[in-house]
Amino acid sequence: MLTLRDIRKSYRIGPTEVEVLKGVSLEIKQGELVSIMGQSGCGKSTLMNIIGLLDRPTSGSFMLDGAEVSYTNDDALSEIRNQRIGFVFQQYFLLSRLTALENVALPLVYRGDKSTNSHERCMELLKRVGMDDRAHHRPAELSGGQQQRVAIARALVGNPSLILADEPTGALDTQVGGEIMELFKTLNAEEGITVVIITHDPGIARQCKRVAVMKDGVIVP
Amino acid sequence: MVSVGRIVQEESLRQFKEMGTDILTIEKEFGGGGPPGSGAAKSALRLDTVLAIPSRCPGIAAVAPSVRGNGDISFNGKKLERSSPMGVTASFLDINKLTMEEGRFLSDLDEQSRYCVIGSQVAAELQKQGAARLLGSKIRLGDNLFTVIGVTNEVPQGGMRRFEPNEMIYLHITTGLRVFANAEIQSITARVSNGTTNNAARDQVMAYVASLGKGQAVRITSPEEIIAQMEKQMQMFTLLLGAIGSISLIVGGVGVMNVMLVSVTERRREIGIRRALGAKRGDIRGQFLIESVILSLIGGLLGIIFGIGASWLIAHFAKWQFALSFSAILLGVGVSNAVGIFFGYYPARQASLLDPIVALKSD
Repeated sequence: MLTLRDIRKSYRIGPTEVEVLKGVSLEIKQGELVSIMGQSGCGKSTLMNIIGLLDRPTSGSFMLDGAEVSYTNDDALSEIRNQRIGFVFQQYFLLSRLTALENVALPLVYRGDKSTNSHERCMELLKRVGMDDRAHHRPAELSGGQQQRVAIARALVGNPSLILADEPTGALDTQVGGEIMELFKTLNAEEGITVVIITHDPGIARQCKRVAVMKDGVIVP
Repeated sequence: MVSVGRIVQEESLRQFKEMGTDILTIEKEFGGGGPPGSGAAKSALRLDTVLAIPSRCPGIAAVAPSVRGNGDISFNGKKLERSSPMGVTASFLDINKLTMEEGRFLSDLDEQSRYCVIGSQVAAELQKQGAARLLGSKIRLGDNLFTVIGVTNEVPQGGMRRFEPNEMIYLHITTGLRVFANAEIQSITARVSNGTTNNAARDQVMAYVASLGKGQAVRITSPEEIIAQMEKQMQMFTLLLGAIGSISLIVGGVGVMNVMLVSVTERRREIGIRRALGAKRGDIRGQFLIESVILSLIGGLLGIIFGIGASWLIAHFAKWQFALSFSAILLGVGVSNAVGIFFGYYPARQASLLDPIVALKSD
């Protein structure tokens, strides 16, 4: 469902041009649980931004569900993010002024979906991640693990084909991190959602069916 | 500010309507050159020629000549402040839209009499000085004693009259011309007949006065002229208020823009999150535009409440009639909306152009 071919990305810092991705090729199939692992500075965050359509490659081809997406316009990219990709971030990135339920509903707002069952859909997902009893709490009233569960529910609400998680356990202790990983594994196994986890932690990477190791801007075979 | 301007305008109009628009003011024209009273002034209008105006000019229904006097006025040996004598005819009451509170006004049968009619202010003064009954009280004016035969109703302050009705002591004009020093008819108020335009009536009077022979000239002021003059002043007044208003609008708008720019900077991460979740640039721009419009609408609403309060206070203390200008309120809402959109657009655009990755990484 996801094919990267010779993706390059360079940034201009002052007079020098720094190439962060030096020709990344990667194929991820529907229903895979993949981790992209590497030391910090190896370019995995840049790769994640490109896969998440938050950034565009300098050159190379990125096919998502069989369609070239790296050069489409900004609004179209927003729409693809909204419909097909669910983001989970290290820092959870919930909006502090909104309740858990409202946070989960946010992607639906941008879908222009005003259907009455969106409320039920959000509650259902909070229940799925075990947070339905905290639906009306604000992020500040939740623990880190709880916030990450809400964030996962938010990533799931739009029925994405891909969940993109950037260091999802990075800010959590080992036990809570383990629980979050279990959640990803269950979602992958039971619902066939493709999950891509970016991490520097070999312990996390090991729990995935497939590990892609990055080094110096390329995927090490 | 527009509201205060509106009140002033309504006030002038109200004062105007009170007098009616069919009144001409005829004044003696002073000839050019030479200081007044040095003999260069044209000869005075004679009472009989003035009283003949309605019969000679079909456009004039009635005239009320008047003569002002001065000199000490006293009651029971005490000086009366804020009062002044004036010689008038019976038609004066009607033409000046005055009404009687007590007693009667001077009539044509009071020629040369020692009767007077007093304004409400003078009446109050007399009572303060211990007059048991107003009617029959005697007021000393120079060497003559006058018996009060009537009191006029109180008239609101201001207005188009060239005298202060509440502070007047009215004598019959014939008496006035005899007892006032250097008395001559300075001013005639004339009512135009129904069906005649002010200008036609004015031309008739001009022609009549000219026919009297050399040395007679008058200046005639019609309500239209006064209205035109008033409107000119009002325009300048409104322009000034508008200029002050626009400056404060710009200052306020810059304030709104600053607040929104700070808000955009503080909420960069939120913008990044929303963008990652699928918000388009337009969504972000719309969100911040709506916020700035709401901000300036709240400001506008407060401004309207404050403005109504302030103009009420001004009207209250200036003793003007309070008037709510709905168009000013609509204008206020509309303008604050426009300020919100205009000054909110730049920050909203900045927000929408933020790179989602940069926005997400910022804290």
